[in-house]
Amino acid sequence: MGFSGAAHAQQAILRGKITDAVNQEPLAGAAVELAGTSNGVSTGLNGEFRLYATPGSYTLKVHYLGYQDTTFSVSVATGETALLQLRLKSNSNHLSDVLVTGSLQGQARALNQQKNADNIKNIVAADQIGRFPDPNAAEALQRVPGVNIERDQGEGRYVLVRGLAPQFTNINVNGEQIPSPEADVRFVALDAIPSDQLASMEISKSLTPDMDGDAIGGSVNLITRTAQSGRPQISGSLAGGYNNLMDKPNVNGQLQFGQRFGANEKLGFLVNANYYQNKLGSDNWEYAPQDNELELRDYELTRTRTGLSSTIDYKFNPNHEVYVRGLYSRFTDREWRRRYVFVPEDEEIEKLTKDRFEEQSILSINAGAKHTFQRFFLNYEAQYSYGEQDTPYDNEVGFIAGLPATFGFPTPKYPQIDAENFTDNTQYELDEAEFGHTLAKDRNITAKLDLGIPYKLGDNSGLLKFGGKVRRKRKSYNITANKYEGRGGVPTLDAFAGSPVKDSFLGGRYNMGNPLDVTSFIQYFNANPAQFELNVEDKNIDEALEAFDAEENVYAGYGMVRQQMGPLMVLAGLRYEKTNVNYSSKDVIINAAGDLESIRPVEGSSNYDFLLPQLHLKYELNKFTNLRAAATYTYARPNFSELIPSQEINREDNLATVGNANLKPVSAFNLDVLAERYFGNVGVLSGGFFYKKLDDFIYRKMIFASPYPLVGEPIIDRIDIAQSQNGNQANLTGFEVAYQGNLTFLPGFLRNFSLYTNYTYTHSDAKIQSRSASSNNPNATESLRLPGQAKNVGNISLSYEGQKFTARASMNFNGEYLSEIGGVAEEDIYVKNRAQLDFSASYAFNSRFRLFTEFMNLTNQPFERYMGHKNLLIQREFYSWWSRIGVKFDL
Amino acid sequence: MKNIKFWALAGAFLYALSGCDDKDDNVVTPLMDVAYPQVLLLSDEGNGDLEDEDKFSFKITLADRVDPQGEELGGKVVPLEKDVTVQFQVTDMEGFSKLSDYVKDWTAFYEIDDCTTSEDQNINLNLTFDPATGIGSVRFPAGVEEIEVEFETDEDLFDDDTFNAESRGLVLKLVGLNANGQNVVANTTNAFEYKVLDDEGVYGEWEVGVDDATEFQNFKNLFGLINEDIKHLDADEVEEITLSFEYGEWKAEVKLKETEMVEECGEVEEENKVIEIEAEFEELEDDKLEGDLEFAESIEQEDGSEIDFAYAGSFKVQGKRLTLTLKGEYDDAETSAITLHLKK
Repeated sequence: MGFSGAAHAQQAILRGKITDAVNQEPLAGAAVELAGTSNGVSTGLNGEFRLYATPGSYTLKVHYLGYQDTTFSVSVATGETALLQLRLKSNSNHLSDVLVTGSLQGQARALNQQKNADNIKNIVAADQIGRFPDPNAAEALQRVPGVNIERDQGEGRYVLVRGLAPQFTNINVNGEQIPSPEADVRFVALDAIPSDQLASMEISKSLTPDMDGDAIGGSVNLITRTAQSGRPQISGSLAGGYNNLMDKPNVNGQLQFGQRFGANEKLGFLVNANYYQNKLGSDNWEYAPQDNELELRDYELTRTRTGLSSTIDYKFNPNHEVYVRGLYSRFTDREWRRRYVFVPEDEEIEKLTKDRFEEQSILSINAGAKHTFQRFFLNYEAQYSYGEQDTPYDNEVGFIAGLPATFGFPTPKYPQIDAENFTDNTQYELDEAEFGHTLAKDRNITAKLDLGIPYKLGDNSGLLKFGGKVRRKRKSYNITANKYEGRGGVPTLDAFAGSPVKDSFLGGRYNMGNPLDVTSFIQYFNANPAQFELNVEDKNIDEALEAFDAEENVYAGYGMVRQQMGPLMVLAGLRYEKTNVNYSSKDVIINAAGDLESIRPVEGSSNYDFLLPQLHLKYELNKFTNLRAAATYTYARPNFSELIPSQEINREDNLATVGNANLKPVSAFNLDVLAERYFGNVGVLSGGFFYKKLDDFIYRKMIFASPYPLVGEPIIDRIDIAQSQNGNQANLTGFEVAYQGNLTFLPGFLRNFSLYTNYTYTHSDAKIQSRSASSNNPNATESLRLPGQAKNVGNISLSYEGQKFTARASMNFNGEYLSEIGGVAEEDIYVKNRAQLDFSASYAFNSRFRLFTEFMNLTNQPFERYMGHKNLLIQREFYSWWSRIGVKFDL
Repeated sequence: MKNIKFWALAGAFLYALSGCDDKDDNVVTPLMDVAYPQVLLLSDEGNGDLEDEDKFSFKITLADRVDPQGEELGGKVVPLEKDVTVQFQVTDMEGFSKLSDYVKDWTAFYEIDDCTTSEDQNINLNLTFDPATGIGSVRFPAGVEEIEVEFETDEDLFDDDTFNAESRGLVLKLVGLNANGQNVVANTTNAFEYKVLDDEGVYGEWEVGVDDATEFQNFKNLFGLINEDIKHLDADEVEEITLSFEYGEWKAEVKLKETEMVEECGEVEEENKVIEIEAEFEELEDDKLEGDLEFAESIEQEDGSEIDFAYAGSFKVQGKRLTLTLKGEYDDAETSAITLHLKK
């Protein structure tokens, strides 16, 4: 049993594509093996496979959930590549009424890929995304076991995998990380990416050595679409909808064209464009117990999502292809925020309106090639990606009235406000006007190479894989902030009053009066600039504190081996990643009198590297059942807001808030065990356990009475320093169970129902510096749960899928989680449980046209936060329900 | 050709959709940065002098803006590049009806340095003033941060021997500007109030009897709270102690016997050393001979921080004598109510 001889023995290649016999849709994730050997692979997203073999005659077995197991005879000679076009028939004859078409085909594709994957991952296909009323990538991901999301204005935005905050999950497009348009973080707001752009989403919960190692929670890969056949494929949708809270319409549409050209369909071209405009809003109250302040907030928003993606690929021959994939997404958010702030202690009421426009855009272009040679394969790719958040205007104007106000909470759910004439705009005088704009940029240039060498060890096939990657990142943030106060002469608020945007606020409980119209105010400001005074000091402080420039270069290499030994697959390898970082920002020093003393440039840099061993085991008990285990080492880089050396040295408060350029990433050991049982009628039951041990956990530490700076010549002898630091440890354990399947065992009409459900339990324990620590006991520690970690997360969805009519009710449950760590435990802020009920239905007129409708948040579930104790609610935000109705077509 | 049309159509469609983001819907861009104009405004909200004063003045200044060099973090005056002409007007008069009865002459100048004004160099600011209408104009030259307009007044018009409870004075505003093509505007909203202070009331300078050991000790007990030099004063060291009640401001001045040589504009003179305390009035019932008052200020500490002090109490004027009862607070310390007896 010699390794080298066996490797040289493989001198022929089987290349093929597996499609549905009826509609020629590619079947991704199909298991292909040479009968009587352990030599097998699974098909990729385009249904294609590549199998190295010794020359000879074989029986090729193909297994695909929902389809009949099929065998094909094939012969291949030395140095030859055998080309195979294999078509499978669905199980429709065996499964009686279950026809594997339409949405079920998408589910089958996802489950087959999931089943045959080497690592623990969940895959959601586009068809499956379309079954839920999820307009953006974040909301589509919330249906996956172990995933919960953070929302903004009722729409999903950030993804949390297995109870870890968003910075512990990396976001990829077509296998490569994309930059975050936001200034101070790495993670990507996925509401910027329309779900219509995606062919599928992969959520890897255990990493293999050929993946970036900077993901502890998981790695999300969003895959765009590729042309599949020589027949022109034109599909799309057009829909309109209604938002009940705002009494306003929404509209969306999508159009896709894809075709392969040429006699041998060598050239593929696909373009997909979509647009979604949503007019939404929220009614919100917020309470700040420490300051005894209460706010009523009335939001009005217009959001748009525009997506454009395209793939051009060219196959020179079955063994060599090149491709270019591009994705552009643009998310815009015009927001008007109108609010009252009641401050009983000062006998003041503030009335403010904010008018802001924000545009997030992401551009990702991947160009690469795949080459299959007789003894190895070689893939390489270059990527340019750019994220930008441009806020061309962010204007907020505040007026203030010297009016007495009191409030109380007869029930925790709604405050009772006693403030006479607080809507009388003649009582309000100008307090402050803020006008600003910001621009955050993040650019990645990446190049990578993967080399695979198949070999044979006795009767067992294996694969050696090596690769490397370089990524150069440049991130910057610039801000303009102008704060104006009146010099006198500015009229009272009634001169700038607009009209209410809603008939009632919070169910008619409060009268918001006529809001301040920012545009009207700015017209006055521009006509009378001499009545206003710019606060130059505040402007200098704000702009210096937040702006930064950063460079981050990552160099990575890996080696891994994948060995099949009968039913056991072993994948083991090592990944090395080295990161060089440089940051520049500014120190802002406030003197003891509270005035700006100086602003000085500062620079920071650090280098770190990780050696990440990975081990994956997969044991096929039978063709429907897998046992999996993985032990992996990963890490997560700190957020830029923690790293950049931007700092405020406030000698008046004796507090320095300091960035830490030397902050190390959080490193983690991850253990995963999973059992999965797939069903021939396209379903799965799975259950697993996971454990993560996080070292160098980042937390905010207070260093009492320290010289400043912490290194070098002190300019201040004694000051308290707040800084993100490494040092403490956290443990996270949990389990997840999931079931999805067609209830074909039920009698009659009920057999058309299917169930999709999952549940994840997570527990965490993180040690941080005790909030009671002081200069006398600075090393005191305490335990708490990780911020963002929800104990209970789950989904349940029941659907009816007839030949023409489908209907689905879906509920997503996000358990409560710690949102912000307070100064003391009683000030910790939690986000409460939230369960959202959605409904969707469709009717197929024929195979080309389908009418669909969707209703979201049917029970008007609010976003709620509490402080310390569940009875102390500090925020309740309501969105009401919204809907869409439209037509989908596939010509 | 078909492809070009398709892409042109698709591009136009996407561009049209981008207009639905409401980005420009009802948006007005505020004047910011260089678009925000220079502002000329009155330097002070007001001033006042005793009734026998023979002049008063007001200043017109440029507002601070962001230092283009980034050196002055709190902002700085950036002078104009060309001359402008500012119009002003006396808008209200109290205690008299004819402006020409009070205002006799006028002049305008600016400081070139601490010892030289534009008048010294015969620079004409083209000041015009019509006492009949109260309207005037003055040139605000390029390169200058602030100008001062001074009026010569009739010192006898208000000078009497009786206490006047009614206000006397005038109000002045900027009313227009010839910007000479520059991005500069005038603040026409704010007013400058000039007030004639009655020296039969609380205003003026009052003397503490240094020779009276009780009065001197009371003075030390009261103001030693905030000033270590006063706390440790010896009567033998003191030449004179005066308390002044001025427009919006209270001042204590301890003139020591010890002298020092002071150079001012090239001339060296021997002057007494002085300990000064100044504060702003929070309250002063100046329309009465007997009433309440409060004044406060902050004192810079060695580490640069500031701590507030405040004195509150009452006053009573009887002819040339003032009885002042005050209680002081500073940091966490305070005095008892202490009465001083002062004379003019």
